[in-house]
Amino acid sequence: MKTIVIGLGNTVLSDDGVGVFVARRLRGRLGSSVDIVEAELAGMDLMEMMKDHSRAVIIDSIKLDGEEPGTVFRLRHDDLKITPRLASCHDIDLGTALALGSRLGFHMPDEVVIYAVQAEDTLTLNEGCLETVESIIPALVDEIAGMLAGTPAEKISIDLIQRKNKDA
Amino acid sequence: MRRVEIDPITRLEGHGKITIFLDDDGSVANAYLQIPELRGFEKFVEGIPVEEIPRIMPRICGVCPAAHHMAAGKAVDAVYKADIPSVAKKLRELYYMAHFIHSHAAHFYALAAPDFVLGPDAPKASRNVLGLIEKVGLEIGGEVLKQRAASQHIQILVGGRATHPVWNIPGGVTKALTAEKRDEILELSKGQLEFSLFGLKLFSDIVLKNKEYLDLITGDVFEQVTNYMGLVDENNKVNFYHGKVRVVDPEGNEILKYSEPEYLDHIAEHVEPYTYLKFPYLKDRGWNGFVEGMGTSLYQANPLPRFNAADGMATPKADEEYQKLFDTLGGKPCHKLMANHWARLVEMVYSAERMIELISDEEITDPNVRIIPSTTPKEGVGIVEAPRGTLTHHYWTDENGIVTKANLIVGTTNNNASISMAVKKAAEKLIKPGGEVTDGLLNMVEMAFRLYDPCFSCATHSLPGQMPLVVEIKSPDGELLNKISR
Repeated sequence: MKTIVIGLGNTVLSDDGVGVFVARRLRGRLGSSVDIVEAELAGMDLMEMMKDHSRAVIIDSIKLDGEEPGTVFRLRHDDLKITPRLASCHDIDLGTALALGSRLGFHMPDEVVIYAVQAEDTLTLNEGCLETVESIIPALVDEIAGMLAGTPAEKISIDLIQRKNKDA
Repeated sequence: MRRVEIDPITRLEGHGKITIFLDDDGSVANAYLQIPELRGFEKFVEGIPVEEIPRIMPRICGVCPAAHHMAAGKAVDAVYKADIPSVAKKLRELYYMAHFIHSHAAHFYALAAPDFVLGPDAPKASRNVLGLIEKVGLEIGGEVLKQRAASQHIQILVGGRATHPVWNIPGGVTKALTAEKRDEILELSKGQLEFSLFGLKLFSDIVLKNKEYLDLITGDVFEQVTNYMGLVDENNKVNFYHGKVRVVDPEGNEILKYSEPEYLDHIAEHVEPYTYLKFPYLKDRGWNGFVEGMGTSLYQANPLPRFNAADGMATPKADEEYQKLFDTLGGKPCHKLMANHWARLVEMVYSAERMIELISDEEITDPNVRIIPSTTPKEGVGIVEAPRGTLTHHYWTDENGIVTKANLIVGTTNNNASISMAVKKAAEKLIKPGGEVTDGLLNMVEMAFRLYDPCFSCATHSLPGQMPLVVEIKSPDGELLNKISR
């Protein structure tokens, strides 16, 4: 089974689109062994997209209090368990969606990695990221492409768990 | 004064926050819904060729892109005074019926049903879609996913894309429907109808036959008396795409019926300093505050308000269920907010029945799906029913078709005052002086918000930076007394 790379975001809302922009650049770098999709979806639709893949890599924006824009956090499946409930008024959150898929007997990815880029602005209408977030895109593309190809490049992401430890 | 905040920091809704102010004795003093609305979209489209607007507007919202695509499509036709071919109208409506099923199914099964199946005060870990399928059966979960996928697929077959469609253009649509696709959609739509009817059976079995839940619907915690708005066809039946906007008063008397270009004569917007989201009201009554009852200038627009504003449904099974809803809940109009969940399920039946009517229409494969507009563009209004209320798009252009101004009143905005009042009433009735503010109790307050299927600034997709719901209870001087994260 293949790996799927999903770039999430809205390309007209400044840094919100960073996941999509990264996915677009990865498309030229990776072979046909990897499915690459751009999506502005969540919950159940995302789960259906991920099923029947062995591994899923999701790139999205994030807004954590007190973090520098452009910082890239790496989240594992277990990190999603911090939100066991609804995360949206319209859909279920990713952790619940993955659990639902497994419970319904679908083959869900054994490994889910999320690269979440700290956004500066996700509300201003603009077809592209602001400078700070834009500037980290090439390095993040290198890191993800290297990780998927088994030839690790320089890592700019930090595990979310490290941030949590830092706060504690 | 103490302050309780319900802060749903979510993937899709941005930063909507409910703040409840308590008196010194612990009873509710006031409640506010605060929305940092996605401002600027109306400004953003200025300077853009109007024919591109139908493909840009759906990006306002990842939840109901089809609604914005349809309203924008109709408004752009109006800008060019283009009377689009009959088949194009039917195709757009067909596409839109599938969208309604997709949207309503998500709301009911993933969001509304867990409160009823597991109970509003069930442990939070089980009060979700996973708990739902454990209780009612795995096969239901599979069917929900299968039918949601089918409604997405129908939209793709008809219009090329389900999310962010680019299919409506001035004068019609970009492609005709082939006979092969028609046959596939007919088969799929039969499944959609069966699934929609199953939803009503489930609602009847788990909610209506359970006295506790029926009392929750008919009780006074979730009740509000206002005017009601909805789009109706020439027979005053509920319609999502065509017709005129009808408004009835709290006793059900028709007080307004207007066509698209007239909306500014009848609807005005009030502004409050604490939120970016405006409060629409009936202009000729004048803003008379956050009050309910006869004489209020407030109205609601949503599934139940659509039912109140109409005389019935245009398809047989849905009409039967429409009558049953009012018979069961004590007549029409119905002021029981929780009945929106029921009305949503009836609307799924209508959508599926209407889909079958449209796909069975001989004209549906007519290749003449577009006329080329030839008039000089100027100004146009398009109105449809979004799943969560009446949606109005209004554009002005110069003689070259470049947008000079835009005005939008989106589904949830109509209900802004109503949501604030519903949350306040639920909080007043549930939060008692000296009593503990429990998770189950806060969920009941949140249910008053959730029943509207609200949608704010819903294009932002950033991952939640913290728990999806934070409640803070503060002392009169701002000291944090208690914090509940869920």
